[in-house]
Amino acid sequence: MRFHFPVFDLPPETEALRAEVRAFVADELAAGRWRRGGDFASNYDPEFSRRLGERGWLGMTWPRRYGGHERSMLERLVVTEELLAASAPVAAHWIADRQSGPLLLRFGTEEQREAFLPRIVRGEIFFSIGMSEPDSGSDLASVRTRATPADGGWRINGQKVWTTFAHRNDYAIVLARTGEAGSSRHAGLSQFLVDLKAKDVKVRPIVNMAGQEEFNEVIFQNSFVPADRVVGEIGNGWHQVTSELAFERSGPERYLSCIRLVEAALAAAGKTPAPRLRAALGRMSAKLIALRAMSIAVAALLQKGEMPNLEASLIKDLGNAFERDQIAIFRTLMPELAAPSADYLSALAETTIYSPSWTLRGGTREILRGIVARGLGIR
Amino acid sequence: MSTNDALQPAVSIDPMVVDAATRAFGGLAATWFAGEPSTEKRAALLQAVVDLGFADALPEPDGRAAWLDAAAILRAQARAALPIDMALLLATGERDASIGYDPGRYACAASAPKSKSADAAGIAALALGRCLQITGAMEAALDLAVQYVQDRKQFGQPLAKFQAIQHSLALAAEEIAACTAITDLALACAAREGIGSTRMATLLDAAAVVADRAVDVVYDICHQVHGAIGFTREYALHRHSLDLLRWRDALVLLRGGELRAAERLGDAALAAGGLWRAVTAVMKPEASA
Repeated sequence: MRFHFPVFDLPPETEALRAEVRAFVADELAAGRWRRGGDFASNYDPEFSRRLGERGWLGMTWPRRYGGHERSMLERLVVTEELLAASAPVAAHWIADRQSGPLLLRFGTEEQREAFLPRIVRGEIFFSIGMSEPDSGSDLASVRTRATPADGGWRINGQKVWTTFAHRNDYAIVLARTGEAGSSRHAGLSQFLVDLKAKDVKVRPIVNMAGQEEFNEVIFQNSFVPADRVVGEIGNGWHQVTSELAFERSGPERYLSCIRLVEAALAAAGKTPAPRLRAALGRMSAKLIALRAMSIAVAALLQKGEMPNLEASLIKDLGNAFERDQIAIFRTLMPELAAPSADYLSALAETTIYSPSWTLRGGTREILRGIVARGLGIR
Repeated sequence: MSTNDALQPAVSIDPMVVDAATRAFGGLAATWFAGEPSTEKRAALLQAVVDLGFADALPEPDGRAAWLDAAAILRAQARAALPIDMALLLATGERDASIGYDPGRYACAASAPKSKSADAAGIAALALGRCLQITGAMEAALDLAVQYVQDRKQFGQPLAKFQAIQHSLALAAEEIAACTAITDLALACAAREGIGSTRMATLLDAAAVVADRAVDVVYDICHQVHGAIGFTREYALHRHSLDLLRWRDALVLLRGGELRAAERLGDAALAAGGLWRAVTAVMKPEASA
């Protein structure tokens, strides 16, 4: 059994783009506009997202007629990986740019695309994912939030939870039951584009273990959604949701969450770093090269219109494990650092506290391994 | 370059191994230089290079496609489950040469490169060949494990139905995918810019480090799901798992040991001013010449 990770070279032109992003990041840091920190889902800065929009780095791959820039998935990868490597505040636009926009491009109506995509591209509106519920985590097909036909649209009743930045974002794409589940349990699901600022949608932050308000519960009580805010076809929700997964799981946010910790440790290593530190760093370098090659392969396959969901799941599990290992390694190597800096200590604290969320969000470790096992033909 | 010069071993290897591999090598080098190189010839030559360290016998690549074809064959050869001839085994009563493991076997190859031809290109060619063999053998071991857990029943159902088994094999598959990805990256690099470049050396260090870990995981998990039958001489798993142990030793020792390879990669990151700078530098796309 071989999985499909063909070797793709980034086009040489992307080096100019990489240099451009690095220069932009350096300027931003020099101007003190934000602090390095958090991860792709926690460091939230709408102003930063707008500046990215001005640079043409949101909706990069989308058609020009929706404000996009018609650049390749590989160019987008260069921008996202450089922003993550700098621990830049990407959380505001992350979901809209990564998966809500592509979902609307694929399944949305022309009116929806025109209404939402240009504003995402400008960094003006931000999206949340409305999938998990109190009784539906990994078992997404069991969602009970229900949408029923009403005059001019739909009424939604139910509750979503762990909805990241729903209290600050503008819209959520909500998965709800509209019909019978059927024997596959995948029938009768539909997606709705919901205005999170609407009066009949209640959003309550849930303080997380880091003491931050990031995720929320979102409560629908007869909340009205107009008919033209159905995404795709009624009953096609499962297919649509699973088509987002390759975008969601294969990106550099799945293996770069600890890069700030690594770089801070290097900076604190002193002039003659201990051999153990050098070897540990080298092992990270080796694994990172492999993960990045795989991630580039998936981006290239997406560019070709393929949906490598299996390969994406594999990258996420491997990348998450790599991130967890890094934290343990730098914790145990702390005595080898010449002078653990404040930057190093804050990175260690932050990655340690946030690490449990990485192996949960976007597909738990257990779900991912199940998908890989299915790829092996044993499930 | 004359054929005879090409037949000088690049590195010091156990004379018995040299003898066996020389017979396998046969008149291959002569036919290689005599005629148009076919993919099969390339593969055979690459195999010979791997077995013997005939660094000079490996010509500069004259085409990416031919290299990749040759690599595919080498990998496929490593994958092929060699049937165990039980009748022969019983008749001769001899201990199968494929049984057993000697961790010291390749030590001399790494520590004492003797001739002038033991240069970076030769070492790199050997290491790349080992990477290809390792990925092939890991795939073969996993294939056997996947088949076995579907056939074997316990507690009234195939082992494959147990989530613990599924997740174990998924882990093995993930390590194989990572090892294959970095091997393919090195292969593409060899095809593009030749085998002796600095970048190639870095990628092979990385491949050795990744393979070192991956072999442990695959060796562990593939045997674990097989139970005792995998630990026998008559069942085929050992052909792959012992190959893995030997080829891993050969690979990492060609890089001076896993620790040295890792330290060099770490030093590269320190010199580059950060891990991310180092990784993007080694994977930097080059404008086509």
